[in-house]
Amino acid sequence: MIKPFPNTRDDINRFYTFTWLAMFLALITGIEIVIIYIPAPYWLVASSLVFLSAIKFLAVIWWFMHLKWDKIFCTILFMTGLILAGGIAAALLAIFYFDPHEPTYDDDMMQGPPIIEHVANV
Amino acid sequence: MSQAVATHDTHEEHGEHPTCTGIPNKKMFMWAFLASDCMFFGCLIATHMVYRISPPPGSPDLQGILDIEIVSISTFLLLMSSLMMALSVHAIGKNNLKSFRRCILATVGMGMGFLLIQSYEWYHFVHEYDLTLTSSLFGSTFYTLTGTHKIHVIIGIIWLMTYYFYSFSGKMDHKSELDVEVAGLYWHFVDIVWIVIFTVVFLLEFVDM
Repeated sequence: MIKPFPNTRDDINRFYTFTWLAMFLALITGIEIVIIYIPAPYWLVASSLVFLSAIKFLAVIWWFMHLKWDKIFCTILFMTGLILAGGIAAALLAIFYFDPHEPTYDDDMMQGPPIIEHVANV
Repeated sequence: MSQAVATHDTHEEHGEHPTCTGIPNKKMFMWAFLASDCMFFGCLIATHMVYRISPPPGSPDLQGILDIEIVSISTFLLLMSSLMMALSVHAIGKNNLKSFRRCILATVGMGMGFLLIQSYEWYHFVHEYDLTLTSSLFGSTFYTLTGTHKIHVIIGIIWLMTYYFYSFSGKMDHKSELDVEVAGLYWHFVDIVWIVIFTVVFLLEFVDM
């Protein structure tokens, strides 16, 4: 029979940290849902949503994923991937957003034929 | 020097060889995998956004299709499952198998709840709005993105269930903390990806330009 170790003060603190963090994340999610119905300028609402989701994202990786207590190299490793991912996304969006030419769509694409058939027709 | 000795002891306690970085190999592998998975999801999310910025003619009206209440419930479930996952890592570290089993079952249950809600949403899209993978560009990017995330959730559920059953073998104790923590990292990653998808794919659609 395996006996549990007694809880230390640090264990209790960590338990409360996790629980409060979960409540905080739920609260932010609630605020996000309310924000979308506020009649405010698009840039303000959109940037608020991005800011709040960034807070949730960082809170989860910092506390739930233990980056706070892990070695700094884990943070560097993950952030490298995250920055690369952000760079790829930003580059893709910049290409299409700042390109004065709208992407062109032909009628066949709108019909949604099977891709293989579409390629064969071409 | 004392820090190096302490790290060495912690690794041996978990049945791990000491490494030059002081980070167990399993954990290092998982962080590297998650970093690469970030790029994978980054590309999928960016592709979806590109088509939403310049939607092709005939794109569906998403405000009438997306059900924000249902998606919010599934988001809440996934966030709470992350709490349960963190508590199950904590419980196994304290050798508390009973608490570990309860927390891991709650995590899996919430993950399954998330999957059920998402499946209902897909069913709703296909049968009420004829939105399929090939019906429009939105359908293609939406199902690819959320489908990839769903597959990640399914893999996570299977992984966590193996630990639940393994806990009855009598071989699981506080030395298994590292293994559970690595599975937990994966589960939390699934959660943070959904945090981004929830904002980009769902919430931003409801903001009027």
